[in-house]
Amino acid sequence: MAEYSQPSFNVSIEEEYQFIDPDSRDLRGFATAQGLTLLDAHGPRKEDEQVASPTGNPSGPSAPVAGTPICQDVKQARQELLRVRREMRELAASHGLKMMAAGAHPFSYWEREQEESPRYRALIEDTQFIARRLLAFGMYVHVGIDDSNLAVDVMNAMRYLLPHILCLANASPFWQGLDTGLASYRSVLLDALPRTGIPNAFRSHNDYLSYVDTLLRTNSIPDPEAIWWDIRPHSHQQDRSRPRSQDGQNAQPGNAATDQPALEIRVCDALPDINDVLAVAALIQATVAWMVDLRHRNMSFRLYDRTLIAENKWRAVRYGLKGKLLDFGIEQEVPISDLLHELLERVEPVLDRLNCREEVAHVHTIMQRGASSEQQRHVWRQSGEDGKAVVDFLVSQTEQSL
Amino acid sequence: MIERPQLTLGIEEEYQVIDPESGELRSFITQFIEDGKIVMVEREIKAELHQSMVELGTPVCATAAELKEELLRQRDFISRLAQERGLSIAAAATHPMSRWSEQEVTPFPRYQGVLEEMQLLAQRLLIFGMHIHVGLEDPDFAIDTMNVLRYMLPHLLALSASSPFWQGQRTGLKSYRAVVFEDFPRSGIPDVFPNRAAYEGLIQTLTNTGCIPDSSKIWWDVRPHSLYPTLEFRICDLCPRVDEAIAIAALCQALVLWHWKLRQRNVTFRVYTKELIDENKWRAARYGLEGKMIDFGKQAELPARSLMRELVELVGEEIAELGSEKEIAPIEQILANGTSADRQLRVYDETGGDVKAVVDHLAAETVEGL
Repeated sequence: MAEYSQPSFNVSIEEEYQFIDPDSRDLRGFATAQGLTLLDAHGPRKEDEQVASPTGNPSGPSAPVAGTPICQDVKQARQELLRVRREMRELAASHGLKMMAAGAHPFSYWEREQEESPRYRALIEDTQFIARRLLAFGMYVHVGIDDSNLAVDVMNAMRYLLPHILCLANASPFWQGLDTGLASYRSVLLDALPRTGIPNAFRSHNDYLSYVDTLLRTNSIPDPEAIWWDIRPHSHQQDRSRPRSQDGQNAQPGNAATDQPALEIRVCDALPDINDVLAVAALIQATVAWMVDLRHRNMSFRLYDRTLIAENKWRAVRYGLKGKLLDFGIEQEVPISDLLHELLERVEPVLDRLNCREEVAHVHTIMQRGASSEQQRHVWRQSGEDGKAVVDFLVSQTEQSL
Repeated sequence: MIERPQLTLGIEEEYQVIDPESGELRSFITQFIEDGKIVMVEREIKAELHQSMVELGTPVCATAAELKEELLRQRDFISRLAQERGLSIAAAATHPMSRWSEQEVTPFPRYQGVLEEMQLLAQRLLIFGMHIHVGLEDPDFAIDTMNVLRYMLPHLLALSASSPFWQGQRTGLKSYRAVVFEDFPRSGIPDVFPNRAAYEGLIQTLTNTGCIPDSSKIWWDVRPHSLYPTLEFRICDLCPRVDEAIAIAALCQALVLWHWKLRQRNVTFRVYTKELIDENKWRAARYGLEGKMIDFGKQAELPARSLMRELVELVGEEIAELGSEKEIAPIEQILANGTSADRQLRVYDETGGDVKAVVDHLAAETVEGL
């Protein structure tokens, strides 16, 4: 028998962008992989024709996509993400709006005002989750693993490190004008929904598919995309129920982030600074590669129960980089910075192979500078708790280097 | 936090008592029985079912070097005790020619009970093992370690193989003992236990239902000892050469430390099912170091020798930390010159199939360096 082949570890990144009114700084729309939705006094309007989905929904050929294609490495992903952000900025400008990336809008009251509007209720009915999590915006990293059993194996192990990653990728400290006291309020909003948070471990890819099939058969979910865990496998089988393009073929490979078997890490808030995005994506990619290396050496990161990992997730949500996480190996609380330094040491051997050393090095900068939520809170305090100042800060950080 | 295990070492060996003239096994233990008890000699000697078998255990040792001193002392003692009665001892997992059906059973009620229970299987159990104890105090971590180190048991067997003959016949195997023992219930590679409670639940069920009086009647290739705070590796054939026995014990000690250090770093070795590990155990029993074994991580067959070298390298850091480089070195000698099984077969071939010559060879190796 042959040895396991090395997965591609190629990367794609999806982001959800907020479109902002330049005067009031209020939220006026958002662009995601599912399309563009504009929010105005009349309620939400889906503007599908203006944004193509990376999953190949029929759209105009020139429509921008809120995600990169599959990239060989994070260096290519940087170029693609710069292009995506530029296109999104132009799309926003065409509606007279600004664009920013952050886990939540600092003060938008839009959802609260619109909750009773018939059109809003219709949208909830129609688009389910997309509408219900309207004001929470994420960043999704896909790492290519061709062997679906290996992908589930790595997923099981990776679950442990998701809180560590969230400590770097949190950008939603405010909600409806209030300082929540948390680093990632988006996580709290999401975890209130079913099929979110840290998943349980699965014995095999078949074990996972059988779970998905049960949900499909029982009409619990319309398609596997409605599993919103912090990490999930992505594969062709999973995309069976996806709409096909007009000629009956799936979208061209290379055009669609979800067309290859991959692991999708969904725990991150959308982040304004593109360097942070690339650093987090590179760390995720390197961690996946390290897990596969362990597997080839007959080893594994230890698997812990969802309930234990959830303790760490709460600490990450609450404290971000300023807290301590539990190290279940030594059964002690350890400052997150120590744990991240340890993680960086462990992934060090794979960095050159993946061509992501510079991007991962930026993790040190995030640790010294503070995560986005800390930066936002700093602006909030400096400006006398002015949400508009925070929005301006986020818009300018998102546009920086475009 | 799990405390670092003490990693103390001890070895129990089951020796063959031999008539130097004929080379056959000879009843021995009854010479030390008075009023149904073994009379005290300088050291505690334990009877076994067969009168020609005698078991001794070293005291608890801190290091492999200390263990070597103790094992030499132990063999010296039992060898002199036998010599005083015109007998000699041999350390090998099977006797090259003696027949189990001709052995006398020790007249203790306990062994009569075993005979009644196990019938012919007990009589047929004329095999000699080496049990290596490594001090590991945390009972939860003991189960975790047992689960993981199951994978390396076939490797330990391949290194220790010393039973190529059975009742005068060349079996074609390197460890015929491994196969004979599998006839017994509750033997072989254990299943995986999700935790200590699952293991204790099994023991509870077996004792409640009268299958066993206590966990000492679990004869797996590795087990948490019923009385000592040790993990007991029982897979190995008895090694004639002291230095080789010590090298394998030092490897077990390093493996336990290695696993504890992995545990601290949140990493573990993969835990495989008994069915897969049994494939390697069969290959180890059949071919010893001469065959290929399976690396389930790579999903590939690899030469057993290269897997052994990889195993020693895997725990290189731990060997250095334990200061047992010198004691573990004879593993390289085993890989270069073969196991005892290979050496026995060489003697057999060189003498034109003389099993008595093999017995003499074993008896000589057993007391080498005393």
